[in-house]
Amino acid sequence: MEIFIAQLISGLALGSIYVLLVTGFNLMLLVAKIIQFAYPQIVVVSMYTCWWVLKLTGNKLIIILAGVSVSIILSLLSEPIFRKISSIEGVDINASFIASMGIAMIMMDIMSHSINYGFPVAFSPDWVGGNIFGYGLITVSKGQLFALLGGIIAVLIFFFLLYHTNQGRFFRAIAENRFAACLVGIPIIKTSIFSYLIVGILGGFSAILFSMLIGSASPWLGEFVALKMLAVSIVAGLGNLQGGLVCGLLLGIIEAMAIGYFSGSWSNVIAFAVMLIVVLMKPGGLFGIKI
Amino acid sequence: MSEVTYYFLGFAGIYVLMGWALYLPYRVGQLNFLIVACMAITAYFGGFAAREWGWPFIVILIIGILFGATIAFIFSLAIGDAPCFTVVIVGLTSVFIVKTVIENWRTLGGTIGFFHIPGPNNMLAIIYSLLFLVGLLVFRIDHSRWGRAASVVFIDRDVAVTLGVDIKKLGMFFQIISCSIAGMAGILDAFLVKSLSPEFFTFSMIGYLMCILFVGGYTTMWGVILSAFFLQGIPLMFPSNIASWRLVIYGALLVIIILLRPEGLITRKMLWSIKIKSPRYITN
Repeated sequence: MEIFIAQLISGLALGSIYVLLVTGFNLMLLVAKIIQFAYPQIVVVSMYTCWWVLKLTGNKLIIILAGVSVSIILSLLSEPIFRKISSIEGVDINASFIASMGIAMIMMDIMSHSINYGFPVAFSPDWVGGNIFGYGLITVSKGQLFALLGGIIAVLIFFFLLYHTNQGRFFRAIAENRFAACLVGIPIIKTSIFSYLIVGILGGFSAILFSMLIGSASPWLGEFVALKMLAVSIVAGLGNLQGGLVCGLLLGIIEAMAIGYFSGSWSNVIAFAVMLIVVLMKPGGLFGIKI
Repeated sequence: MSEVTYYFLGFAGIYVLMGWALYLPYRVGQLNFLIVACMAITAYFGGFAAREWGWPFIVILIIGILFGATIAFIFSLAIGDAPCFTVVIVGLTSVFIVKTVIENWRTLGGTIGFFHIPGPNNMLAIIYSLLFLVGLLVFRIDHSRWGRAASVVFIDRDVAVTLGVDIKKLGMFFQIISCSIAGMAGILDAFLVKSLSPEFFTFSMIGYLMCILFVGGYTTMWGVILSAFFLQGIPLMFPSNIASWRLVIYGALLVIIILLRPEGLITRKMLWSIKIKSPRYITN
């Protein structure tokens, strides 16, 4: 029972980061109408930035600002590329997926060539932090607590923005019907750029929480996270924000349980196998496609 | 023939096969990365059967093709008519599951790899003979009733259904053919290199195959041939310090081609203008 509770806490912490990632991914899908497969790579680049700034300064506020800024900059830099792709006549959403795969390949190769000779980087114990609570096998680390609380707060703020502000109304209108939103005077491009900004902020926070939770980063982390993010999004139903919340948390719990009860290297296989079975049984997603 | 030329021609031929394996299901709008999982499974099966059981090449090749077809048939029962991204995720998860299983299976060499695979010496002749046969098959499919139906599905699924096209059956057909070709490519790869590593079947390979299909052109079967040879030649064309950045080059090519020429280098219009009838160029 102790293992179960310990892994549940760990799973919820991991799941809340997946929720952040899937929420950002779905926002891009709904508002900008793109499949941003390179989003997790942006998160990994932000993690590397945090590691670098941590080494240079050790100041936590500067680390957070640097991580979030890099994520915002990279997210905004990709906007003109995707806007151009969306404006090409005859291309569909697949084109954005293909281009984002290209961007992901570029970022992954640059990280594997240029940073720390391609070797994974480890964050200092000062950043990751030790256990703040312990009872038998049940422990709660600082990283887990921050990931859980940070994830919940970020998602709450995001949903407040979505449902209680004018900008959120614009997002939902564009997601519902882009043409009609344009007719009633909603600034499509400005709102789309704002969505990239929000996604950048979410990505930056994901990077900070991820680095505190797992304590390391590698160039290949992005492809694993991208796969999980896309899988969660499809299992939940593409563009389904509420479904993404449930499935993101579930993936974190399944993965943590697999780590707790099976050998480490098999944990990803179990998580992927569960998602594969769900996708095969319900190709349209558990909660329905929203695009 | 120098070793470099031998492997360049060998790999280019295998990647043309894999490019066609990706091209066929994309005719109905599905990006089927299950082909990479099939390639990995049959490559390891082929290597193991040849080294440990001493099976002849031709038997292994036939079983490899059947393996690919069977895997695709089972999966296509569920995703034959699934949307593009459902097929994408099924393929990606399958690749990572297969890769992890291979890495943890000591009999197959685990992360170290599987070496000393015996096999025929005239691999280039075998690869290009099979390439010719598969090319004929793809050409025939493209110009058949199935090919025309696929063109309609790609443009508008609803219209295809109205016209009486069975989308699920069509998707299943293309997925089975594509995975059979990938099964064949896996066997050829194992016997060409005579060693295998799970690191070969990763995201980079998927990206590379995407590059082959979309840079060459996804609307005709000819684009794959052009881009497979061109992209395979990049490490040979540039000095090693630049060639080691080939993923950056492939990624940049993908982005540039989508921005400037979304249908790829060889398009149906281009073929039509030089009087090669392409099945996807629909006129009234």
